[in-house]
Amino acid sequence: MASLKRSAISDPFASNISSKVYVRSTKSGKVQKIVREVYLRQDIPCSSQLCQACLKTAPRNAAGELTPFVLSDRPAGTKTYPQGHYLVPDTNAFLSAMDLFEQSSAFYDVIVLQIVLEEVRNRSLPLYNRLVGLTKSEDKRFYVFFNEFRLETYVNRDQGETVNDRNDRAVRKAVKWYGEHLAQTKTKKGEAPAVVMLSNDRDNLRKAKAEGIPASSLADYVGQLKDGDKLLDMIPDAQDRDVVRDKKSNEHLYPEYLSLSKLMTGVKAGLLHQGIFNVSPYNYLEGSIRVPAFPKALLILGRENINRAVDGDIVVVEVLPKDQWKEPSTKVLEEDALTKNENADTEEGQDFITEKERKALQEEAKRTLQKTTEGHAQPTARVVGIIKRNWRQYVGHIDQSTVSQAGKQGRKQDTVFLIPMDKKIPKIRLRTRQVAELLGKRILVTIDAWDRDSRHPAGHLVRSLGELETKAAETEALLLEYDVQYRPFPKTVLDCLPKEGHDWKVPASTDDPGWRDRADLRDLLICSIDPIGCQDIDDALHARPLPNGNFEVGVHIADVSHFVKPNNAMDMEASIRGTTVYLVDKRIDMLPMLLGTDLCSLKPYVERYAFSVIWEMNAHADIVGARFTKSVIKSREAFSYEQAQLRIDDASQQDDLTNSIRTLLMLSKKLKQKRMDAGALSLSSPEVKIQMESETSDPIDVKTKQLLDTNSLVEEFMLLANISVAGKIYEAFPQTAILRRHAAPSKTNFDELSNQLKVKRGMELNVESSRALADSLDRCVDPKEPFFNTLVRIMATRCMMSAEYFCSGTQSEDEFRHYGLASEIYTHFTSPIRRYADLVAHRQLAAAIGYEAVDPSVRSRGRLEAVCKNINVRHRNAQLAGRASIEYYVGQALRGRPAGNEEAFIIKIFSNGFVVLVPRFGIEGLIRLRDLAEPEPAAEFDPETYTLVTSGSRQVKVDLFQKVVVKVSDEKNELTGKRGVKMELVSP
Amino acid sequence: MPLDTSAYNLALLRVDGRRWNELRRLNAQIRTQAAADGSSYLEMGHTKVMCVVTGPNEGGPKRGGGSGPGAGGGNRDSKDAQVEVSVVVAGFSSVDRKRRGRGDKRILELQSTISSALSASLHTHLFPHSTITISLNVLSQDGSLLAALINAATLACVDAGIPMTDYIAACTAGSTSTYAANDENADPLLDLNHQEEQELPSLTVATLGNSDRIAVLVCESRVQVSRLEGMLAVGVDGCKQVRTILDNVVRERGKRMLMEGAVEKGAAVGMDLD
Repeated sequence: MASLKRSAISDPFASNISSKVYVRSTKSGKVQKIVREVYLRQDIPCSSQLCQACLKTAPRNAAGELTPFVLSDRPAGTKTYPQGHYLVPDTNAFLSAMDLFEQSSAFYDVIVLQIVLEEVRNRSLPLYNRLVGLTKSEDKRFYVFFNEFRLETYVNRDQGETVNDRNDRAVRKAVKWYGEHLAQTKTKKGEAPAVVMLSNDRDNLRKAKAEGIPASSLADYVGQLKDGDKLLDMIPDAQDRDVVRDKKSNEHLYPEYLSLSKLMTGVKAGLLHQGIFNVSPYNYLEGSIRVPAFPKALLILGRENINRAVDGDIVVVEVLPKDQWKEPSTKVLEEDALTKNENADTEEGQDFITEKERKALQEEAKRTLQKTTEGHAQPTARVVGIIKRNWRQYVGHIDQSTVSQAGKQGRKQDTVFLIPMDKKIPKIRLRTRQVAELLGKRILVTIDAWDRDSRHPAGHLVRSLGELETKAAETEALLLEYDVQYRPFPKTVLDCLPKEGHDWKVPASTDDPGWRDRADLRDLLICSIDPIGCQDIDDALHARPLPNGNFEVGVHIADVSHFVKPNNAMDMEASIRGTTVYLVDKRIDMLPMLLGTDLCSLKPYVERYAFSVIWEMNAHADIVGARFTKSVIKSREAFSYEQAQLRIDDASQQDDLTNSIRTLLMLSKKLKQKRMDAGALSLSSPEVKIQMESETSDPIDVKTKQLLDTNSLVEEFMLLANISVAGKIYEAFPQTAILRRHAAPSKTNFDELSNQLKVKRGMELNVESSRALADSLDRCVDPKEPFFNTLVRIMATRCMMSAEYFCSGTQSEDEFRHYGLASEIYTHFTSPIRRYADLVAHRQLAAAIGYEAVDPSVRSRGRLEAVCKNINVRHRNAQLAGRASIEYYVGQALRGRPAGNEEAFIIKIFSNGFVVLVPRFGIEGLIRLRDLAEPEPAAEFDPETYTLVTSGSRQVKVDLFQKVVVKVSDEKNELTGKRGVKMELVSP
Repeated sequence: MPLDTSAYNLALLRVDGRRWNELRRLNAQIRTQAAADGSSYLEMGHTKVMCVVTGPNEGGPKRGGGSGPGAGGGNRDSKDAQVEVSVVVAGFSSVDRKRRGRGDKRILELQSTISSALSASLHTHLFPHSTITISLNVLSQDGSLLAALINAATLACVDAGIPMTDYIAACTAGSTSTYAANDENADPLLDLNHQEEQELPSLTVATLGNSDRIAVLVCESRVQVSRLEGMLAVGVDGCKQVRTILDNVVRERGKRMLMEGAVEKGAAVGMDLD
């Protein structure tokens, strides 16, 4: 009978073959036992240039090329090992101190054992990639020794031995073999270099000592080096040792949420507080929440307290006991930097709070402990429940360093991190099979869930938008990120347009129903003034002297409500879009092009329907009377601001049209003065204009916007029209008028800024009333620095509340005030082509003057409240999108330009960095201490005087409001693939 | 988890410790089933297959017997013997226990590839109106399955004493770099195991005897054309090594049979006994 049994003698390799058996569990919880062959061999070289024996058997690749030996024949010595030494670090050494190994001053001739490499890979893919990077660099002389494949160094796992113990033993065995192997090589100097094991594991060190293997702890070893003191800082604290291993994984990372009924009763009883959770843009571990019960926002610090809340969620918080109150952080914490070593797929094995995060928190704690006596601490809170998630779709890109090699080939399912564009959103864990295709792309994802036992929220891919940094992808990303509806108008909407299309004309016969109740203003000298290239002209103006010495001034607004009837598809679409969004190179319309740029647009030389506000004013710009009427106008000219300005300034132009603009200008100046006297604020935000190359529309330069008199001319009359209309519709509809208000900022908002001004410049900021604030802002002048005033205004603007639309019945009358404009009542009426609120105001005004019947939709308070809520959000998003678009184009404009030095001002200081504003580009940039010099200089931050003094590798002193020179360049972060504007401090 | 194939460039070692041009341990026996016309058992690393050959028998294979596709007695009129191959993959052969249906397309393809490869080498014209049934059982899988099956079938046919032109010896070849990686110094690899097959481009090649004549070439992954030549050369070279091993197995067995007197003395034996 034949037997399938193999006799050992017949197999010459028997002793050289081993198998590796390990158990792995799959995501679905299945346990798999994997058996792999391991071929043990004796031709794996030690790779020391001293060794002749290994050279003979050294491997060659398919082309017959020999891999050169890596380890130097004259390695550096230390006090303990004067003959020179090679290092063999164990896994923990790499995990805890990878930065150390990347130093250029020490750590040469390092032997990376295969088993160590494997363990590092399992712990952290990013660290593994860094380590592999080290082994590839020629000057560092890192050699990967495959100890698991070498017969002499292979170790079998003993019965009852843990994997870690077995691996430690394998490391020791390899070190021992290396030592003995090298001892056989004869060196000219006599003694062979020592092979030293580096480990932080006490047990391992003890065993090594017992076996007579040279070993040292990281700290001891570094202590012997020349610049050891500096490097010592890079070793994590002793108490953190050994924590990485043997961590139990099945405990929950986050506390559980309370039940909904508990939350509700808690909120009702005033024990818990509900509000919208906001994340600090500079510190991802710090959030704040405004609740009605407290004048100041509550702080929410740390991962555990934030408890899975994402920016924008409506959460319920519980105030923490007073001994846990803290100051807001003065440190910049960026998620990418702190957690870049995380592994996406094996997160169970990791500490909940990474070591670096813990370190950052510890520093914070230390700082607050020193200061608690001074009473700066703010109440803190923790999230106990979430009422409503505000998750949306997020745009971002995949963190390259979390991608495994196998994933790059795109066959295996891989878990990777997505870094969202919005810094306030945490990294999102993504499982995908198409990593290879998604790398380097802008992608859209949604968050699915955030479980208690998962450090990061889990999401899934929605779609890819295209290559990073291509115009199309980035623009779409912006639109998605700010939830701008950019899809083409559906057919149902287009069906609502007039059938005549572009041929539509104001009916010739005044008997036409279109002419009903319309004033014929076609003979007035009306013109429009807008930015260059404006196509959607909402407004036009006229002024003419009256026989009684007064002036008749008219503001004519496109009569959009004639074309957009309430509750049809077009109206619905417009109410959803809420506003037109202006990006640098693109406009996303609220209404279809036909209306926006043609039929409604008050183009010159053609007749158009309009809604007119006509005042009679005396020479002091006091309003004698006002009337509102639907009308037909014919604009005589469409000016740009510049053209209008030139025309006014050119004394030779004495025609009626020019003179009427001069009248307007004269009146507008008086109006402005009145407004200022009433306490209107002149606020500021950095505005720039991108110059495009006309053909490719690539950005080529950035210019700050210039403000002309004509800008303010148009603005004044628009404000006046809005105020007049607001009064009229409120009178007609006390409960349902659509108005706009700007709440007075709470005093605490200005605390920081006024303190900063007081400390740094001895200036007082009076925030009693808008008038007082306006006056004190006027006094904030630095004679040496003209921009200083603008800077203060920019910073003051950020302390303000944002203005909002509301329905008059929802607020008491004294809440109607518009703080910034110092007006008792205000609405938006003048841009119905691009804002939905104006369209509603038009309908209400039309009803108020008896032009048409009141449509139920403009009378229903519930409906209007919903509209207000939506357009408030849309309005804000549109602004943000516009700003982000400018920021992107500024970045693109900088790209390829040589880095230039620019003036900048310091607007915020942290203990580990500061923020500068570059007026020329209107952008802000963060400069961290570690950007200043290598290694990172030590720094002393004094929050009392807002100064940061660095010492060590670079000595600078930076003050708040200080003018500095920075080098602005464009940089791509290789690790994350993110491009951004980089700023370097040039002087001081 | 051990390292993946991307670690090759660190020390020119593959995931299991082999060099680029090394076969795995290849072990084979013939005449493992005394009752069968021909039988063999073959291991390539952890890929283990056994093969039983029945025939050549006149008439079609019995209905219901583990026959391959297209089986059904249609060969009564043909001048050549039909080679019917059936492959059964044991449920316990891979990490996850998985039952493969009879109509599994992958198995059908394996069967037809082996069948056409062997028909070309076997002298089927000597057995008109008959069928040679080759039953292959996969006991354990660790890459290079097709190659192992072809090698086992060849051995079993030799054992069955069916005249053939030469051995058909097969092995796989791959490349250390993936299709996407634009790596100039990608080494070709010989005899891939399961992990390598999953991660790297690979092809299966079988040659006729010691010649460079290729009997089978299957490539299911994307490979850059510039690397194909190197892979093929390594694969063909590997096939020659495999042939030598197979040949040794047959000779060993023959020698033992002669020693044990299984072959009549005086029968013409065309080989040296030492």
